[in-house]
Amino acid sequence: MAKRDECDVCVIGTGAGGGVMIQELTAAGFHVVALQRGPFLTAANFDDDELRTVIRDEVFSPDQLETYRFDETSRTETGKFNMTANCVGGTMTHWAAWSRRFRPDDFKVLSTEGPLAGASLADWPIMYDEIEPFYERAEWDFGVSGDAAGNPFGAPRKKGYPNPAHPPRTSSARFAQAAKKLGYHPFPTPMAINSRSYDGRPECAYGGACQQYGCQIHAKGTTLAVSIPRALATKRLDLRPDTMAREITVGKDGRARSVRYLDSKRGEHEVFARHVMVAGNAIGTPHLLLMSRSGSFPHGLANGSGLVGRNLTFHHAAAVNFTIDEPALSFAALETHVAVDDLHASDAKRGFIRGGVVADFNMLVKQPLAYAFLGFPGYPAKRTWGSDLKDYLRKFPHAVGTVAILEDLPMEANRVDLDPTVKDGYGVPVPRITHRQHANDLAMNRWYTQRLRDIADAAGAIDTWVPDAFAISERVAMKGSAHFHSTCRMGDDPQKSVVDKWCRSHEVPNLWIVDGSVFPTSAGYNPTLTILANAYRVADHFVGEAKRSSA
Amino acid sequence: MAEPISRRGFLVQSALYGSSLWVLLNVPRPRAVAAARASTHHEVLTDAEWTTVEAITSRIIPTDHEPGAVEANCVNFIDKALAHEDAAMKPLYRSGVAAVDAVSRRRFAKSFVELTADERDEILVALESDKADGWPVASAASPAKFFEMVRAHTIMGFLAHPKYGGNRDYAGWRVTGYPGGGHHLGGYSPEQLMGKEKIKTAWGDEV
Repeated sequence: MAKRDECDVCVIGTGAGGGVMIQELTAAGFHVVALQRGPFLTAANFDDDELRTVIRDEVFSPDQLETYRFDETSRTETGKFNMTANCVGGTMTHWAAWSRRFRPDDFKVLSTEGPLAGASLADWPIMYDEIEPFYERAEWDFGVSGDAAGNPFGAPRKKGYPNPAHPPRTSSARFAQAAKKLGYHPFPTPMAINSRSYDGRPECAYGGACQQYGCQIHAKGTTLAVSIPRALATKRLDLRPDTMAREITVGKDGRARSVRYLDSKRGEHEVFARHVMVAGNAIGTPHLLLMSRSGSFPHGLANGSGLVGRNLTFHHAAAVNFTIDEPALSFAALETHVAVDDLHASDAKRGFIRGGVVADFNMLVKQPLAYAFLGFPGYPAKRTWGSDLKDYLRKFPHAVGTVAILEDLPMEANRVDLDPTVKDGYGVPVPRITHRQHANDLAMNRWYTQRLRDIADAAGAIDTWVPDAFAISERVAMKGSAHFHSTCRMGDDPQKSVVDKWCRSHEVPNLWIVDGSVFPTSAGYNPTLTILANAYRVADHFVGEAKRSSA
Repeated sequence: MAEPISRRGFLVQSALYGSSLWVLLNVPRPRAVAAARASTHHEVLTDAEWTTVEAITSRIIPTDHEPGAVEANCVNFIDKALAHEDAAMKPLYRSGVAAVDAVSRRRFAKSFVELTADERDEILVALESDKADGWPVASAASPAKFFEMVRAHTIMGFLAHPKYGGNRDYAGWRVTGYPGGGHHLGGYSPEQLMGKEKIKTAWGDEV
């Protein structure tokens, strides 16, 4: 009989949460088996070919399939709605690298705001102070470049950034001038991209292919470039790319026992583990738990609360583009160089609670295909073809993009579950997204769109338009996102959360979740730095517990 | 068509979530194959189909004082895409091109390539709004789906890297003012990012 395949910890997913966990556990002496859907790509696999990478999506998730419906009575669409990367390093591989800390009130939304009809607001079971040291670890491991004194509204911090802020480009300089004119306090957006050579990785060349691309020189901080190499060097990581976890089994003792997974040819495998850590993102993690049904967990593993997959949050975004009277250089350098937090603080007098960060943003103006397909102004008054299209294309060099990354309110009906009919290439049911926006989201989005228009005006905009790429309304919601959270909330009450404050299942003592799924609320910032910090926090606890119990 | 694809949904998905274009068209999508695309040898489209598709592209991105889809050879991009990555769309093109001619003959008693620019636009507006008289009911795609497919392909042919067979002599990037992928051009200095020094383009100019 073949030797039983076993390890100390099986980590499912190697993105921000899983990658950090793998690094920390292997460093502490644990033997880890890591499962990852998709291949082990290297920098040599990456380029800036927009057709191949963004439009045809041949690099990061060619096989991904999902379904989406607005609510339970709506027609279901089949497609790919979430910008995930299925490869070693996970979605962080093609992240833009915005690295903002959440602020203290982001962890206490329910107690700060009070309850709100239609929203399932909650507090995090931790305070900012508990995660602060781990933000610092994340910033220093991933080489965040920024100006610690630049943002008067930022979260308190004990230590500066490891690298200085990036230089501006014309579009970001115009954004900063406009923001100052309006009385705001623009500051360099902290980015986990090297502004100078750091930790064996080179400085950024400012070629422009960050968001939705793999970095060709690993100037971008990713678990692919940072954590996985460290873990492999310990010889304690058994990395298994091109695998799809399909079930976590539990033993009679109620503990997670093994992970069953498929290889790329649908061959079945099983690895036994003393602990299982799930980091498949807030779509993939509930998907796996819901597929892991058994006599003791008929509704999915660790789902006694019924909340696995519920409260899905995505963020929403306000976006305004405009042209200026000089070349904007938006195609070069980072997705964002400058941001303002002056508009971030929650203020119910605006007609909504919560808020978000405002920044210059080149996603829709950095490359011509995304610009042509996603940013077209004035439709349906103008044709998206013919001379209208051509005139629009000629504005490209002068275009500046702006965005507000906005906190969406959790709603229990927004969820991930298993599609009853559609199966993917592995033969397993695909995740079904059910998602609509809360009225608060719509009011917030309208308000921030107007503030972005103010910035465009102050910047001397010639043409200003709202690209409809992110448009939401009473009937149109975000179908997907690059920011996924909240589908396995952490909390103190097992009736109201899936995992405890250490991200351990309330019901299965050796099952942990270390991705954005555990965020009770989404905050108005890009989530990755917080996913990283939280993983360091959980790893620190896990290793400490293990030492204590073996002492 | 019971439930037309919303324009917004199509735009967003066809670009941001590329694979959805194929999913929405309900055709299986093969994995890509690498191949030289600079050849203008007709691999899929017949001569007549080639001419008709080129005539459609000529109205999607028209030629004015600067090159358009014809000069950029977008039809060649489409032919090569149909031979490789988008092979599953071949039947949609076959039946769609024939259907466009049927609509054209119904309206103007001429084939599409024989029409004036304004007449071609009139036909394309009808396709776009899914109200094209004479469109065969049995056709593999609805008029609007076919139009979106050719529109999307034309834009890709104009703006994707020339190695895919379109964007001939960087015509699309020159018109759009996109210099090409920055890493291959050596990246940008702080002075270049602020417009104080010229930058190189993929076609060898400094601007």
